[in-house]
Amino acid sequence: MAIINQATKELQVKIVYYGPAMGGKTTNLVQVHDHVQTAAGNKGKLVSLATSSDRTLFFDFLPIEAMSIKGFRTKFQLYTVPGQVIYNTTRQLVLRGVDGIVFVADSQYEKMSENVESFQNLEENLRSLKLNLADIPYVLQYNKRDLPNVAPMEYMEFILNNREVQVPAFSSVAHKCEGVFETLNMITRMLLNKFISQNTPQYA
Amino acid sequence: MATLPQLLEEDIQQLDEALRELLKQTDATTALVIDQGGFLITQHGDDRKFDLTTIAALASGAYMANQTIANLVHETNFNSVYQHGEKFSMFTLAVDEHCMLVVIFQAGVSVGAVKYFATPAAEKIRKQLKEAHQRDPAEGLDLSVLNLADPSEVFKRKRH
Repeated sequence: MAIINQATKELQVKIVYYGPAMGGKTTNLVQVHDHVQTAAGNKGKLVSLATSSDRTLFFDFLPIEAMSIKGFRTKFQLYTVPGQVIYNTTRQLVLRGVDGIVFVADSQYEKMSENVESFQNLEENLRSLKLNLADIPYVLQYNKRDLPNVAPMEYMEFILNNREVQVPAFSSVAHKCEGVFETLNMITRMLLNKFISQNTPQYA
Repeated sequence: MATLPQLLEEDIQQLDEALRELLKQTDATTALVIDQGGFLITQHGDDRKFDLTTIAALASGAYMANQTIANLVHETNFNSVYQHGEKFSMFTLAVDEHCMLVVIFQAGVSVGAVKYFATPAAEKIRKQLKEAHQRDPAEGLDLSVLNLADPSEVFKRKRH
């Protein structure tokens, strides 16, 4: 969970990008890294622990500091998990200490069962860490909207966002940076709102 | 409950003191306290040589991967990891169920001394973190000075 250091007025928050293999999780981080406006020193290196064929092996990691938040130095740590089914233990490790989740779904029709399996896997892995998805801010990103064989947004919503409480969902073309910042800003906003509302003093 | 309590100045001072003493005793280069989620809690020593934020994330991942291996071989006491290099070595030791102590030292420095002195240092850190937990277990994060100018766009995209 988030760490707060009152001595240095520093808040650290962990956001994990989750989703099926080849869905665009790493691409999201690459685009944020390449396009985010930051002051010198506020953006760390993008670290990728990948296989020789550029598939995520352990995780990708990007630390960035938000400029527009006053009062605290707010550092966001963005992680991806490996999407391939065999790396489930690794996904569990990366989820430790998570504050917010971006679920990156692949919009292609033939990937729909993988999306659903990955979402179920997310819920299972959170349960194994004694966490509940309902308690964690998360957003959905329907990626690859530029491909010809994509399912309609309504269908994606029916498949992945058909719950009692619906969460914000974004269409994206991550490799063109479309929808990437919208998604990141929404999860950030949800996280900060959660922290602030949970910790506002209650008056009788 | 959050894995870590809210840390006040006195907590950080105590953690820093434990790290300072450890570096003095061992001639190590840098010592960090990290959490298993990959956060850097505090550090002492030479912070210009290394990207400590990234080291914290990776050291946590490496340590947690080792813990998983320990479970697979039915070992319950895999509480440290030693990585031996030609120039620098690194020793990671569990502080409690949530945190770890990481010591980076030149390869010429005795690993025996690092292991020997890291144990009491980890104990001091554990006690302070426990104290912080007990101070007020129900207390959440005090973000009263947080001022979010424009929550809709925390991160802005560069315009070309």
